[in-house]
Amino acid sequence: MFKKLTKVEFTNLDKILYPELRVTKAQVIEYYIRMAPRMLNMLSNRPVVLTRFPEGIEKEGFYEKDAPMGTPSWVETYRRYAETSQREINYIVCNDLDTLIWLANLAAIEIHVTLSKTDAFENPDLVLFDIDPEPPADYPEAAQVALLLKEKLDSFGLRSYAKTSGKKGLHIIVPIIDGYSFAQTREFVHQIAKHLTTQSEIVVSEFTESKTPGTVFIDYRQNSQGRTMICPYSLRAAPQATASTPLDWGDVKKQLKPTEFTISTVVKIKENPWKGLLDNRQKLEVG
Amino acid sequence: MIKEEKPRIRISKRPIWSGRITIGLVNVPVKLQTMIFDKGVTFRFLHKTDNSPLKYEKVCIKEEKPIPWQDIAKGYEVSKGQFVVFDKEELKAARPESDSRIRIDKFVDYLSTDPVYFDRSFLLLPDKSDDAYSLLLTALQSLGKAGVGRITLKTKEYPVLVHPYKGALVVTTLRYAYEVADPSEVEDLKRLKEPNKAELDLAVKIVSDLSGEFKIEDYRDSYKEKVEELIEKKMKGETIVVEKPVKEEAAKELMVALQETLKQLKQK
Repeated sequence: MFKKLTKVEFTNLDKILYPELRVTKAQVIEYYIRMAPRMLNMLSNRPVVLTRFPEGIEKEGFYEKDAPMGTPSWVETYRRYAETSQREINYIVCNDLDTLIWLANLAAIEIHVTLSKTDAFENPDLVLFDIDPEPPADYPEAAQVALLLKEKLDSFGLRSYAKTSGKKGLHIIVPIIDGYSFAQTREFVHQIAKHLTTQSEIVVSEFTESKTPGTVFIDYRQNSQGRTMICPYSLRAAPQATASTPLDWGDVKKQLKPTEFTISTVVKIKENPWKGLLDNRQKLEVG
Repeated sequence: MIKEEKPRIRISKRPIWSGRITIGLVNVPVKLQTMIFDKGVTFRFLHKTDNSPLKYEKVCIKEEKPIPWQDIAKGYEVSKGQFVVFDKEELKAARPESDSRIRIDKFVDYLSTDPVYFDRSFLLLPDKSDDAYSLLLTALQSLGKAGVGRITLKTKEYPVLVHPYKGALVVTTLRYAYEVADPSEVEDLKRLKEPNKAELDLAVKIVSDLSGEFKIEDYRDSYKEKVEELIEKKMKGETIVVEKPVKEEAAKELMVALQETLKQLKQK
């Protein structure tokens, strides 16, 4: 009866993946099944990079860029030379529910997506501002910087979208039209970050300063071909089973507790703050 | 190998061998006693229908019936199905003569001997030779040395190590070099690179932070403890519930989620 609903053969459903919460692989799979309607849009035609934890998050996990041995023939893949790895990679592309379920069954707890699609891999369709607080700075400081950034982007007439990273940080996204290079988007983010350092003492724009205690780094470096961000609604390998969760700008405030967005709470959220994101592709005013 | 049904942890009075340690012209008469006991959980096979114990028999594969001991010969399989046959007398003649001696050839630093060669240890006790025994024991203790030599036990000659252990002399039989694989031939190891300084410093720090005394008592046989607990419960008449994997249940919940999601995706 199961076979009719999915092509995936489930294995080790009782395996505990989050020991502290006693969350099993079955629960992780169920989470991804329930989140699929909101995830598949973003996953569509984007190569994914996985972080797999077959023995649970307390044991060592591993990154997986290539489709592993035994990948079923119905899973779409995309072969591409990757500058970052200096070799050709056979990426997995998650274009349907079955593939997402298959990934969950691989204990691919974290699903990361590229910032461009397979049809124009050199041209990003998303610009990412990765806002990363360095302790003792934490989420409240990240939220403060995110709001500052939004104000700036608003002043350019750019609509931006926010999500929690699932850890302490925030990701701010601007969807853009075809034709920009990663060098351009990277430079765009870097310039804005530099500008914001003049507006706030806690902002840093350079990787070399990113480990200064109490600062918030606006990381521009993921805006590169083949680099990834954690997919919206992907779980994270953190003890509380948090998920990277899209937020309404109205909810991005210091008091928000990103650790409350977890495997058990996110499924109950009805609204989709990122609705229409992929259709709202904008022109970047660079330089 | 025949195993005692209830291995004792006390050292028995009856020696399994007596003879002497010979070092050049010096002799130390000793008795050899068992000191290693395999105490893991053991089960007997029973006939399920009436719980009667099962026994092993040597069954001829052609006639499919048990063969009495006196009709059994030994065959060395030279190639598949091809045997060179020996009767018991022939093999007996080839056995090494037991001359009741542990011949020590030389002394080595005990810590330089590698445990991969250790086979089985036996306790050596003085055989009306307290002074000589004590002398050898004390000399080895004070130098941290062990004697390397040979012993013949039953049908086999073994290399041995004679060394002090908790105020006694112990003889440990060793494996021959041909019985132990040489890892330096393994390709995976030939490729190993030197670690860099910073990583090595960190690794060394971790190792020194976790350093302590070797205490074998810290390790417990949890399977044995669990089985013993179950045995006690069974003896009290408690039935044991075998925990079945809950796969079915989990799969059912996934199906409900799947149906709902599929419906949602169709509406789009």
